[in-house]
Amino acid sequence: MSTAANCPNCGAPIRFRWSSAVQTVCEFCRSILVRRDVNLEKVGTVADLPEDSSPIQIATEGIFHNRPFVAIGRILYEYEQGGWNEWHVVFSDGVSGWLSDAQAQYAVSFLVPMQGLPPAESLSRGQQFRWNNGLYEVTCLTRARYRGVEGELPFEYWDKEEVLFADLETHGVGFATLDYSDPEPLLFLGEPVEFDALRLKNLRQFEGW
Amino acid sequence: MRHPFYLGYGLLLLSLCGLAEYRGWSFLSVNEVKNIPKSMRDNPGAYRSHYGYYARHVGGK
Amino acid sequence: MSAPHPPHVKALNCPSCGAPLTIHGMQHTLTVVCANCLSVLDAKDPNLQVLQKFEAQQRIQPLIPLGTRGKVRGDTYEVIGFQVRGIEVDSIIYTWAEYLLFNPYKGFRYLTEYQGHWNDVTVLRTLPEVSALGARPVAKYLGETYKHFQTAEAETRYVLGEFPWQVRVGEKVTAMDFVSPPRMLSSETTAAETTWSLGEYIPGARVWEAFKLPGKAPSPVGIFENQPSPYKGSPKHVWVIFLILLAALFVVAQVTNALSAKQVVLQGHYSFTPGSTGPPSVVTPTFELKGRPCDVEFAIRTDLTNNWAYFHFTLMNTDAGEASEFGREVSYYSGSDSDGSWTEGGPTDDVLIPTVPAGHYYLLIEPEMDATAAPMNYSIELRRDVPAMSYFWIAALLLLIPPIFTTFRSITFESRRWGESDYAPSSD
Repeated sequence: MSTAANCPNCGAPIRFRWSSAVQTVCEFCRSILVRRDVNLEKVGTVADLPEDSSPIQIATEGIFHNRPFVAIGRILYEYEQGGWNEWHVVFSDGVSGWLSDAQAQYAVSFLVPMQGLPPAESLSRGQQFRWNNGLYEVTCLTRARYRGVEGELPFEYWDKEEVLFADLETHGVGFATLDYSDPEPLLFLGEPVEFDALRLKNLRQFEGW
Repeated sequence: MRHPFYLGYGLLLLSLCGLAEYRGWSFLSVNEVKNIPKSMRDNPGAYRSHYGYYARHVGGK
Repeated sequence: MSAPHPPHVKALNCPSCGAPLTIHGMQHTLTVVCANCLSVLDAKDPNLQVLQKFEAQQRIQPLIPLGTRGKVRGDTYEVIGFQVRGIEVDSIIYTWAEYLLFNPYKGFRYLTEYQGHWNDVTVLRTLPEVSALGARPVAKYLGETYKHFQTAEAETRYVLGEFPWQVRVGEKVTAMDFVSPPRMLSSETTAAETTWSLGEYIPGARVWEAFKLPGKAPSPVGIFENQPSPYKGSPKHVWVIFLILLAALFVVAQVTNALSAKQVVLQGHYSFTPGSTGPPSVVTPTFELKGRPCDVEFAIRTDLTNNWAYFHFTLMNTDAGEASEFGREVSYYSGSDSDGSWTEGGPTDDVLIPTVPAGHYYLLIEPEMDATAAPMNYSIELRRDVPAMSYFWIAALLLLIPPIFTTFRSITFESRRWGESDYAPSSD
């Protein structure tokens, strides 16, 4: 697929960093554009993202297990105890992953196709699941509000209302999220990471820091 | 090496033991008498020991 | 790129009393406290709606003032929040302070302080494994086993500054502490979730140095749950060194024994009839001691039965004109009574006299007995360079003192530590 196109709404040039991007946001008119076949289609408009304090921004680079990645998009959520960002990162081999930043606690995870995921109503804290030889325990159930998108995403994602997320932890280095944005739940498996281990570059600057 | 003081203390005790053995130290307190005249040495029967100033030793039951 | 303007410190005014406030935690801050009127305000509300007003008999001043920056684990953090929490044990309330530290890249960490004991605390994202080992639960994390110390309900009693959560005075959590000094695992459970954190004990001086605080850190009182023991590992090490030294002592004793000449220099058999007074009973022939100055062993053998004898010895050095005098008592009694036969004392005596130089000697022996006693036969044998094993026994006992002392001190320290736990032997 081509990496250059024009915004169907305002004509501004759109450049894709990632060839497999399904959705992007036009920087100029804030239209949400979805790639269907060879054309870009406007599906909605995203409101201004609320102020947030993630030190990561689009084009931030980092390393995860010796694999370099770039942040090319994000989804912003808010819930009762604050907000968090799911940064869409793409690795040099084209693989798509997620770097979450919740109050400066970071985790990297990847979408893992999995059968038999539990329905939302059945979830409770302390429940355990075994996926890919790991034992995961539900630690937190969050009802979050989608607040906006930015940049390139690997799927269509906009105008969600309230979304249920389940965080799961393990006794070792393992972390999982169950995402109930869509009728079919999605499983993301990964690990919590320390800021220093990611060796992030091209970060946002904070006044006084 | 942890506890260098204890090790030093132990080695000191060992050295003291070795020295005590070499020098023949003993806990017994011995009464030393010096400058005994030659005449006395040559005539042992004449020597009067100093135990006269002990009270008459009463021992046993 | 539609990046919002970089977050900066916000300056606002309290809606309740008008006092100025600043927000340093950027968008992470959910609640902020007005220090002037002790109101908890909604930081996400443009009008800073008052969520709670609390009262305090006394205003509390944090030991590290809000806004102070300091280096913790190589990164700079700013103190943006302060809370005092307490637990109630046996009707006594114990409170501690918590400082919320913030770095926009590294996130949040905490410093806790109780009676001068400080801990550096971070939130865990890995679940420790909790199991019950015997009667006491343990938690395992990263290969380390932590023993349960205390479970209590912690209540927030005072707050200042900003928090990335909905803080309220009076909110309660069930707190469980597991210790593996110098570290501690703590879990806090509310209806919504359980959070685990890992604390490491740090000396107050480190905190004062990190935040460049004036004066000195307050001295710690008592022993804190995860305070590292100054004796950690010591008892084992000291006992190992003891065994090594004991083995060396044994070797030296054996070598001494092997190298001792144990040379017989005088032997004689004599009789003594009590009642006779006058000149010394026995004068031995002259004998020679050769070699280095060393000890001389006197072995006295008697045929005493139910009697005593006092031997006065004078060892005369004819070369130097000096004499050594000493006395020895020998007594031996035996009999039978309702409990069986008994003995007291013995008919023999062995004694070492110290450091006898080489030379020519003779021995005067003046025995003494009860005037009515039966005559006694006795023999005297002198040997030079005889090993004195008593020194080695004394040395072994002296060697035992430091390990016993260290073990005692270590046990006392640990019992003081556990005296504050749920497992303290109850005094009332």
